Amino acid sequence: MQRSAIVVVIPLLLWLVTGQASAHAFLDHAQPRVGNTVATAPREVTLWFTQKLEPAFSSVTVTNAAGQRVDTGKTRVSGNQMSVSLRSGGAGTYRVTWRVLSVDTHTTDGSFTFQVGQ
Amino acid sequence: MSIRLWRAGLPGLAIMLVPLGESVAHEIVGNRFFPATLGIDDPGVNDELSLPTVSNFKTGDDPSFRQRDISADFSKRITEAFAVSFGSTYSSFRPPGGPDSLGAAGFQNLDTTFKYRLFKNPEHEFVMSVGLSIEWGGTGAQSVGADPFNTYTPTLWFGKGFGDLPDTLSWVRPVAITGQVGYAIPGRNSTTTFSVDPDSGDLTADTEFHPRVLNWGATIQYSMPYLKSAVIDLGLPDFVNRFIPIVEATLQTPVSNTFTSGTMTTGTINPGFLWVGNTFQIGIEALIPINRQSGTNVGVIAQLHFYLDDIDPRGIGKPIFGGPVQPASPFPRN
Repeated sequence: MQRSAIVVVIPLLLWLVTGQASAHAFLDHAQPRVGNTVATAPREVTLWFTQKLEPAFSSVTVTNAAGQRVDTGKTRVSGNQMSVSLRSGGAGTYRVTWRVLSVDTHTTDGSFTFQVGQ
Repeated sequence: MSIRLWRAGLPGLAIMLVPLGESVAHEIVGNRFFPATLGIDDPGVNDELSLPTVSNFKTGDDPSFRQRDISADFSKRITEAFAVSFGSTYSSFRPPGGPDSLGAAGFQNLDTTFKYRLFKNPEHEFVMSVGLSIEWGGTGAQSVGADPFNTYTPTLWFGKGFGDLPDTLSWVRPVAITGQVGYAIPGRNSTTTFSVDPDSGDLTADTEFHPRVLNWGATIQYSMPYLKSAVIDLGLPDFVNRFIPIVEATLQTPVSNTFTSGTMTTGTINPGFLWVGNTFQIGIEALIPINRQSGTNVGVIAQLHFYLDDIDPRGIGKPIFGGPVQPASPFPRN
C-alpha cells in the first residue's frame, strides 16, 4: 500500500510544483516604498506586483492627508508594473489604494501609506 | 477493558476526534491573506490541497505511546463561497499502543466538511464561515481508534486582521487572529462490550459513553508579507518577507455525556511558522500538550499545502458554478 501511495503522490507533487502557475497578484514593492518617508512629494507612484496585470481592470488612486485625490486618474499598466502620476502636493501622509486583476482572473486589492517631508 | 481504563484512555481518544491535519483553506480579505493553518481550519473557503500533513507525538493515554499521522486533505469550491473538503489520515501507533499493546496502524475515518463563507469585510479584514464536518464511522480501522459510528461537528470559523488599527499602532497591523468553535456530536451515545472475566468466569459488561465535545481553538499570527506590502517595507530579503510566525491552540472539552470521559480539557499549544510561496506554503509547528492527558512529550506537525486556485485557476482551481466574486468593497475603498 505504501509503495503504491508513493507512486501516486510523487508525480502529483511534481506536477503541482512544476506546473504552470499564475497566482494572485500581490503587491511586491512600491516606489515610494511602503510606509517610508520621502523628502519631497513624488511625481508618480509605481507599484510592482507578483504577477502580470490586466490593464483594463487594474487601477490605483492616491489621496493626501485631507483625503483629496492627488493622482491624475490615468493609471498605466505594463506587465506586472502599475503607475500613476501625481499632481503637486505638500507634506503629510499619502494613502495609495490599488485594485488589480491578474492575468489569471484573480482580483486583489489593498492600500498602504507613505509620508512626505516628515 | 474496564471502565477505569476506558476513562484513562479517553482523553487521547478525544484528541482523535479532531484529526490534526484537517485544515485546508486560505482566504484573502482586502489587504489580509489568511494562510492555511495546521492545527485548526482557517476561516475561508478555497480550492486547496494539503499533501502531506505529518505529525509525530506521544499520546496522553496511560501508558503513553508514540503516534505518527500522515494525512491528506482536498478542498473544492462548489460556488465561490461554498466548498466541500475531504480528508483522510493514516495513523501508526508504536507499542504499547493499539488494542493489544503491540502497536497498530491503519486509516482513521474519512472526513467530509461542508463549509460556507457567511461574511467578508475587506475594510476590517474580517471573515466568518459556518460548516458541518462529518466523520464517517466505520471507514477507518478500529485498531487505531476509528469509531464505528458517524460524528457530526457543526462549526463556526472566524478571522480578524488588525489592519484597521490607527497609525500609532501600525506595527501591530500585521497581526491577525483566527478561531473556530465546533460541537462534535457522536452518532451513538454509548458502546457496551461484553466479555468473560478470565479469573472468575463471570460475564462482565463495559460501557463507554461517547461524549459530546467542544472543539475549539485559535491562532495568532504575525504576517511578514502584510508588514511589507501594507505597513512598512523594511527592505528585508524576499525569503524573510514570506514568513508568518504563528501560535495555534487546539483544544477539546467534553461537555455532555461525560460519564466515562470526564470533562477535562485536552489539547496542544503549537508555536511555529508558515512560509508562503506563490502557489504553495509550508508550515511546521511544535505540539506542546497542555496537560498530562494531552500528551507526554512535545511533538511536531508539518504540512505542505498547495493553492489550487493559483496553480490551475481555469481548471480545478475555480468554483464549479459561477465565477469568482469581486471583492466586497467597491474601488476605491477609502
